[in-house]
Amino acid sequence: MSGQPIVSALAMTVEERPSDRVAALFDAHHQRIYRLARRLTARADDALDLVQETFLRAARAPKSVPVGAEREEAWLVRVLINLRRDQWRRAAVQRRHDAIAAPQLRAEPDHGPAVIARTTVWRALDRLPPRRRAVVVMHELEGLAVSTIASQLGISAITVRWHVSAGRRDLARVLASRHGDYE
Amino acid sequence: MKIVSDLLRQADPLNDDLRRLDEARDQIRRTVVTAASVARPRVPRRKAALGAAGALAAALIVVGLLVGLGDRGTLRAAVRFEMRLAEAQPIPGLIVARVADSGRVIYLHPETIVTNEDIAQSWVIQDGPDRFSVSVEFLPAGAERMRQATAIHLGHPVAILIDGEVVIAPIVRSAISDSAAITGDYTRAEAERIASGVGIR
Repeated sequence: MSGQPIVSALAMTVEERPSDRVAALFDAHHQRIYRLARRLTARADDALDLVQETFLRAARAPKSVPVGAEREEAWLVRVLINLRRDQWRRAAVQRRHDAIAAPQLRAEPDHGPAVIARTTVWRALDRLPPRRRAVVVMHELEGLAVSTIASQLGISAITVRWHVSAGRRDLARVLASRHGDYE
Repeated sequence: MKIVSDLLRQADPLNDDLRRLDEARDQIRRTVVTAASVARPRVPRRKAALGAAGALAAALIVVGLLVGLGDRGTLRAAVRFEMRLAEAQPIPGLIVARVADSGRVIYLHPETIVTNEDIAQSWVIQDGPDRFSVSVEFLPAGAERMRQATAIHLGHPVAILIDGEVVIAPIVRSAISDSAAITGDYTRAEAERIASGVGIR
């Protein structure tokens, strides 16, 4: 008697349903994905939309998500950054259109110094391309090692270091133009 | 000299924003898990070109349904399903309604976007050991109306009405088109009743 049918039946029994897989994926990674999304967007609502869309990509094609916590996380991070990059490109087109259609200067609201400083920093960050911004956030705010960032984004360590360096330089230049010297 | 890294840390939005995730976590989780439940294997591009107009479900609404479902006797008297745009703030001409599960007041647009007539099929999904929900897939015309209506309604509620009562009104986060999921703490029998009920035209 062949054992094959038993093996197949067992495989069918223990095969994880897509919804279970995605639920487990969400439970394991949603906080980390939200933290990154929030630091890549201007508003919390935008970050929540990104989180939802990221996991919806997994929900629509759960078999494309690799197995293993680290690989899952890297996959989700890459999807998140790609989604953000798409948004960033669309927004850039819209900004160009708006600038052509109705160029105007907007007065700064009357906020306190702390709010202005915070707004200035994040506006400077907003000027970075999404992948560079992601690298800067992961390195400076999440404290991830260069090798970890490289692994999660699927790029080389050299490229990560270059983004960190260029990102710091870009930020310092924008901030210095507004509020003095930075390094 | 000021340090860019220090400034970034001081201005980190997560310093006071994690609560937003806490508020939205359950809703997002339901949405993605339900999406996984209704997702189907991708149709090869060539086959799709041959007439598979119903592609994969693209966007989902998660609906919590807590109303009781009385015995309706015949199929004709089964579940009446509607979806309408809604507003959180009063606007002249809109209809005041109360959401069944929360008691929240919303303001319904008079036009119905989709009804039972627009449902191509419906089926039961098991969310947990004793929890079931219902997924509905719209016919192409209804899906297109949903997409057009919700694409310009982002950030506002869309109401699901069962037998004329608003059972939930989630905020539209992205355009909705092909399908919707009605989720809640249903028994299997309740979910099957809804699934068969909403499909009656």
